[in-house]
Amino acid sequence: MSGFPFLTLVVFAPLLGTLALIMLPKARVESIRWAAAIFSAVPLVLTLVMWVLWGRTPAGAFGMKFAESFSWIPSLGISYSLGTDGISFPLVVLTALMTFVAVVAGWKMIATKERAFFALLLLLETGMMGVFLSLDYILFYVFWEIVLVPMYFLIGIWGGPRREYAALKFFIYTLVGSVIMLIGILALYFLSGTGTFNIMEIAQAAGSIPVAAGRWIFVALFLGFAVKVPVFPFHTWLPDAHVEAPTPISVVLAAVLLKMGTYGFFRVSYPTLPGAAKYFAVAIAALGLVNIIYGALTAMAQKDLKKLVAYSSISHMGFVLLGLAAGTQLALSGALFMNISHGLISGMLFLLVGAVYDRTHTRDIAKLSGVYVTLPVIATILAFSLFANLGLPGLAGFVAEFFVLAGTFPVSVLWVVLAALGMLVVAGFNLWVMQRVLMGEAKKEYAGLPDATRLEIFTYAPVVALIIALGVAPGLLMRFLNGPALELVQRLGGM
Amino acid sequence: MDWSLVLPELIVAGAGIGVLLLDLFLAPEKRRLTGYASLAGLAAAMVASLWLAVAKVDWSLAAGADGSPVAAGFTALGGMIAVDAFSVLTKLLFLAIGLVVVLLGVDFAEKRKLPVGEFFALLLFAVLGMMLMAGSRDLILIYLGLETTAISSYALAGLLKDDLKSGEAALKYFLTGALASALILFGMALVFGGTGSTNVTALLGAGVTTGQLGGAGNPIALTGLVLLVAGFGFKLAAVPFHFWAPDAYEGAPTPVTAFFSVGPKAAAFAVVLRIFGPVLALGGSAGGAGAGGLAGAGVLGVLFAVLAVVTMTVGNLTALAQKNIKRMLAYSSIAHAGYLLVGLAVATPRGFAAMVYYLLAYAAMNLGAFAVVIWLNNRGTGDEVSDYAGLGRRAPVAALAMLVCFLSLIGIPPMAGFFGKFYLFAAAVEANMAWLAVVMVINSAISVGYYYGVVRQMYLAGDGAPAEDHGGAETGAPAPAEAASTVKGTPLVGLALGLAVVAVFALGFLFEPLARLARLAAGGL
Repeated sequence: MSGFPFLTLVVFAPLLGTLALIMLPKARVESIRWAAAIFSAVPLVLTLVMWVLWGRTPAGAFGMKFAESFSWIPSLGISYSLGTDGISFPLVVLTALMTFVAVVAGWKMIATKERAFFALLLLLETGMMGVFLSLDYILFYVFWEIVLVPMYFLIGIWGGPRREYAALKFFIYTLVGSVIMLIGILALYFLSGTGTFNIMEIAQAAGSIPVAAGRWIFVALFLGFAVKVPVFPFHTWLPDAHVEAPTPISVVLAAVLLKMGTYGFFRVSYPTLPGAAKYFAVAIAALGLVNIIYGALTAMAQKDLKKLVAYSSISHMGFVLLGLAAGTQLALSGALFMNISHGLISGMLFLLVGAVYDRTHTRDIAKLSGVYVTLPVIATILAFSLFANLGLPGLAGFVAEFFVLAGTFPVSVLWVVLAALGMLVVAGFNLWVMQRVLMGEAKKEYAGLPDATRLEIFTYAPVVALIIALGVAPGLLMRFLNGPALELVQRLGGM
Repeated sequence: MDWSLVLPELIVAGAGIGVLLLDLFLAPEKRRLTGYASLAGLAAAMVASLWLAVAKVDWSLAAGADGSPVAAGFTALGGMIAVDAFSVLTKLLFLAIGLVVVLLGVDFAEKRKLPVGEFFALLLFAVLGMMLMAGSRDLILIYLGLETTAISSYALAGLLKDDLKSGEAALKYFLTGALASALILFGMALVFGGTGSTNVTALLGAGVTTGQLGGAGNPIALTGLVLLVAGFGFKLAAVPFHFWAPDAYEGAPTPVTAFFSVGPKAAAFAVVLRIFGPVLALGGSAGGAGAGGLAGAGVLGVLFAVLAVVTMTVGNLTALAQKNIKRMLAYSSIAHAGYLLVGLAVATPRGFAAMVYYLLAYAAMNLGAFAVVIWLNNRGTGDEVSDYAGLGRRAPVAALAMLVCFLSLIGIPPMAGFFGKFYLFAAAVEANMAWLAVVMVINSAISVGYYYGVVRQMYLAGDGAPAEDHGGAETGAPAPAEAASTVKGTPLVGLALGLAVVAVFALGFLFEPLARLARLAAGGL
């Protein structure tokens, strides 16, 4: 089976879906929905097959499995190289799952220009998959930029009232970040002297880069990734984009798109420039702590339910930065774990906020109360997700935070104390929002609203199941993360 | 004397004269035929150029040189005509540009009552001038080619005789063009005085690269070169020599604008590469471009770096304020000239190769954008950005093509524009001029603002409102919408658009072979 091009299919099956959808007549909405679901199911099925085959598949060069490589622009050393390891594979599964969930969630929520919506969503999936699977910098960059275009339209056409502003802000922020990243990549290419754009080979040879230049390159790459994560103070596009985006897009944005940034740290910055990473460790920890605390405090102050979830994302991504800064195996595993658990939990929260909004037509926390009474099923799942969000033991979020904090402890007690303070605020706003939205007196105008449909339950079920499964049996995911985390520790320690 | 070396030029010149004669004998309603005759002439010249490329160009010479300047290739007319990789490649580009512009112009000319025969004949003569410019190493012939193109261009700009703006465009273009020609001629005279030769290769040994004006080098020749920079600055529409461009672009008939934005500009870049490329490269290696920043490149390098930065920044910032799409594209093309100048400022073989590649990519994407403008214009849509509201629904194919071209102009992969910028970035970073790449980055981000202004109109604005409310009526588009039905044969514009869009993707996917070609071309300058 080693010759089967799993990864190429995973990347390009959604693109085929985009083309297929364009061929379909605009009016046949039902066929369009089904076609979108099928084409987004293909990568999901393929990744599940790969999961089953994972243990039996031998790792190739640089520990990459299912690797494929063809020469593309030999004169510059650019190749079409795909491959996956423990860092990227869980993200690939997450992408496949959450895009599928988003497509199905969009079935009923998207009522205008369905064909264009699903075509763009599938194009977005191709871009995201390509980012996680590329082992060549230029290929990586191409996919990275491809993500921008569908996202712009998905927010700009189907978004809320301020959609144009939010879409343009998203586009410009990420474009600036990513082009600066491109300059960093070029500097890596020339200074490493390898004559190749292969990410792994450059990482091996990067020891020859002068220390000062390495620091500059680290900063350039950091800017590109930090905008996506987003790291304070580059985060301001996120609340706007999230609030304006339609629900399925918010789901993809929170669950997958932000992970492109953290993935960049794990795949590129840290393995390639461990010296610079250690040099900037305190600064990155500080930014992470600001993210955690500032995100949590700002979330607490929000009146809009969706904005609250958006700021809560900023807070959680702070843990990933903190884990990176600490650089112990435990902390790095925790940070990688956070990628996945946050992807599941925040995606879930956006789905539910969308479900509530569809029925009540408001996201204003002050106008909602007693949702337990009016929409018992949705409210229960929302409560579950909020508990997962605050880090309840037994659910996925807890594992990630616990590992990060436990791994950070030997490095700095102060960081742990500050992060724990942030967690208190996180717990606070989650509980407070539960109290205000779910409990209290039921609003009369919302009486008799329909509760979760079967389709909605179908979209929630796999995500809820994974949140529980990863909380109860973290080993499911850890078996992918431990190896890469250990390797990263060795690289960092080797400096 | 081997006359086959100038076969493409002879064909284009013959076609131009033939078109003029044909026009005399054709009934007015049959004058479209002159357009087809021009197409045939240009296509024949392309075949001849390809034949030259295969049969006559010594590719090994260029390949072996790989960056170091080569003094002589195949020459004709006493060393005035150079048939090398660079000239063949650029001539093919010019001919392709001419071909696309003719395709764009046939319906437009008929609809707007342009003098059809003169239009195509002038266009062919302008292309001929461009070919002479790129295909010579001799300043005299370069100047003659330049004037052939310029004089044809002045007349082309004023072809809309009843339109005051067209007249204004022609006059402004003529006045600044004359000034530029004077500067260039004076500069050439000084270069001749300083080096004793009109051949550009003489500059290599003339010591103009040591960098100090009035210093130990060759101050006379260096002064001449600086004047040439100013003169060609006008032709490139580089800031601060750009003031004619927006008015000329806005007033000229749109296919002519499309031509101006890529044709004479590309030719001017070809000449600048010819004259300055080897000299700058010499300065780069002598002074050690690796030493960082501007120090190594001498006065000329500094000049080009400053020009690049100012041109792209002013072009992009001013484009943000434009409401007319032709004017916006004019400023956008100024900005792109700024990006191209980066290659000269970098002054490495990779920088020059990146310029050659970027010229190809830029021609494709800009002509594509203009093709959409002309297509819509033929169907009665005005030239204001607000006329494009709701285009995503009214004309989905045209809107999509425009989107592709604009994404490419911004530099989003996998379109050609990305690879062009990538190549320039790479050249700048390699030459330790990453700061120049950073300036380009900031500019690319600024450019998103105005390209997306149009994209926003096409896809996001006018939602909910019926599209017809926006379609040209409110802004007084020159042709009312009913006229659209009288336009026949817009397929030609469609064909041009299709060619451009395919090229935008193909140039990206064929980056490897094209970059190698560009490298060979630049290596044999």
